[in-house]
Amino acid sequence: MDELNLEDQLDRQLREAARYIDDDGFTTRVLRQLPPRRRPRQSLRATILLGTTTAASVLAYVLSDGGRFVSVHFERLATLPTLWLFALALGSGMLVTAGGLVAAISKSREFQS
Amino acid sequence: MELTDADLIARVLVDDDQHAFGELVRRHQSSVRGLLRQLTRTDLELADDLGQETFLRAYKNIRSFRGEAKFSTWLYRIAYNCFRENARRRKELVGVDEERLQAEVDPQTVDPGLRHDLMHALSLLPLPERTAVLLCCQNGLSHDEAARVLDIPLGTVKTNVLRGREKLKRTLAAWGPN
Repeated sequence: MDELNLEDQLDRQLREAARYIDDDGFTTRVLRQLPPRRRPRQSLRATILLGTTTAASVLAYVLSDGGRFVSVHFERLATLPTLWLFALALGSGMLVTAGGLVAAISKSREFQS
Repeated sequence: MELTDADLIARVLVDDDQHAFGELVRRHQSSVRGLLRQLTRTDLELADDLGQETFLRAYKNIRSFRGEAKFSTWLYRIAYNCFRENARRRKELVGVDEERLQAEVDPQTVDPGLRHDLMHALSLLPLPERTAVLLCCQNGLSHDEAARVLDIPLGTVKTNVLRGREKLKRTLAAWGPN
């Protein structure tokens, strides 16, 4: 029992003797030596996005009988009342603007961090 | 809320977030440098060089950290390997720097005489016993964790801790009552 107490006491003294070492610029020195940050592979991401968009467009064109649906829908649009057309244009414009704003805000946050 | 080590490691892995890695360094620098100072027999300059090398290796190899052990245990293993490689290169270790050791004493926590005796007695132990005592008794690692850090059998760690403790007690007793 005494032997155990003595061991506990020795361990406690050892732990107390291990004083906290102040950073004193150590972390800064380590960070300065780190290799440059890996940049996300933007070109690869852009290529994938462009490639899939093009492929999807070509597929849609082929499956829609040579894009006939475009002329059909333009004909249908031409028959719409002026007020409807105006509302459609306004809605589309607002949607695109909102999308652009969201993208710009998320990009600026990325730069700030 | 303070992020855990696992959260910070995830940030390093996913975003290569060097700020997160900096936080990990800040959290663990004291224990890693403390261990290295004892291993190098209080050669502060060498210990800090090895400390930097430890964290640089940790950053470069962080993908190999699988989270099976604590991050600190993984760091100790790297630190010990850095020390061993350096010792092999230098062939022999330097002696105890008494003046620097004295300057490190914090009189508010431990009786300076006892602290000095303890650290001095610790530095006199053979390397295997000193390392085992440092990891298990001072840094609170289990025998199993210490065996993984040192890459030696569990039985050897237990023997080294036992022998180290015995020698420490004998040395301190011979130097006078506490």
